[in-house]
Amino acid sequence: MKALKTIAAVLAVAAVTHIATVLLLPHALMQLVISGVKYKTGTPANEWIHSPRVTEASRAIVRPAPDLAYSMCSYDLAQGPVHVTAAAWDDYMSVSVYSHNSDNIFVVDDRQSPGGADFVIVRGDDPAPADAKTVVRSPSRTGVVIQRRLAPTQARWEAANVARQRDICAAIH
Amino acid sequence: MKPAVHWTLIAGLGLVLGVGSALWTVRHGGFSGKISYGYWLGNANTGSAAADPYTRSVVAAIGLLALNRSEAIYFTRFKDDAGAPLNENCSYEMRGGKLPTRWWSITAYAADNYLPVNGQNALSVDATRVVADANGGWVARLSSARGTDANWIATKGAGHYSLTLRLYNPEPLALEHADQVSLPTVVRLSCESAP
Repeated sequence: MKALKTIAAVLAVAAVTHIATVLLLPHALMQLVISGVKYKTGTPANEWIHSPRVTEASRAIVRPAPDLAYSMCSYDLAQGPVHVTAAAWDDYMSVSVYSHNSDNIFVVDDRQSPGGADFVIVRGDDPAPADAKTVVRSPSRTGVVIQRRLAPTQARWEAANVARQRDICAAIH
Repeated sequence: MKPAVHWTLIAGLGLVLGVGSALWTVRHGGFSGKISYGYWLGNANTGSAAADPYTRSVVAAIGLLALNRSEAIYFTRFKDDAGAPLNENCSYEMRGGKLPTRWWSITAYAADNYLPVNGQNALSVDATRVVADANGGWVARLSSARGTDANWIATKGAGHYSLTLRLYNPEPLALEHADQVSLPTVVRLSCESAP
């Protein structure tokens, strides 16, 4: 009888731990990316980080596409909404928002917005700035914005790098 | 056995079993939305807020920050057309044609999910650079050393690797009837040693 109780207790702990691990894994991996990039670049939240061209040495994110120019901004809505812009690009470009559980909660590309991306991220049902062109409601306080520009050659990557230099990812105070 | 030791052992064993079984499940699939076309594997719920917790964890583990399906479709394969694992010691011929999408690319990844380190700067083939015939058909070589093929992905240092096919801005056919899309074939040509 005692052995059965022991086995039941082990299985109960295992079941709870199993579910918790599955639920928390995406959060843990997202936090690893956010913390890792912050540690390596010294860049705080709410600021674009324009990554160097993807090479075989790239280790920031798993399975990077070597044909794309990536930029990343880890957002933190603690101080209020975050304004995001990305300049127009003459080929495929998208700007996507990921909540802290890794869900892709928003994406806009160059076909939908040929003039570039311009939106504001707010927390849940918090009020949005009146002049916001597009509002993205994040279920989590923190998350990540990723910008992708198709740039399969060195020349195109350099052009993309010029195009993105004035892009904005900043808290609205 | 003292009660404190007894319960500590129960908790420890339960934790190991729980974490281990969760990581095993994530690593070996078994999640919803899984779709396959030959040996190309995809998931209809990638990046989606509707994904179940297992799918979300699998995608986070092997493709964190993937786009949702309306923006991009991802397929990954670990095997050649004969069902054998892709191996850096072997050469393969990959054949494809036009794909119903604005832009596509195929990239090789080593078992650690990063690009293979080989110094050869031949990491992918994509729609903008692939050398194709008049009908859009193309052939690419997957091998450690460059051959005479116009299209080449260097797999030296990749070990048992995988290929990821990305379709950006997929057309309705790819979104709604992906099973009707002819995805590239991968046929093994030779191996330097037993694969």
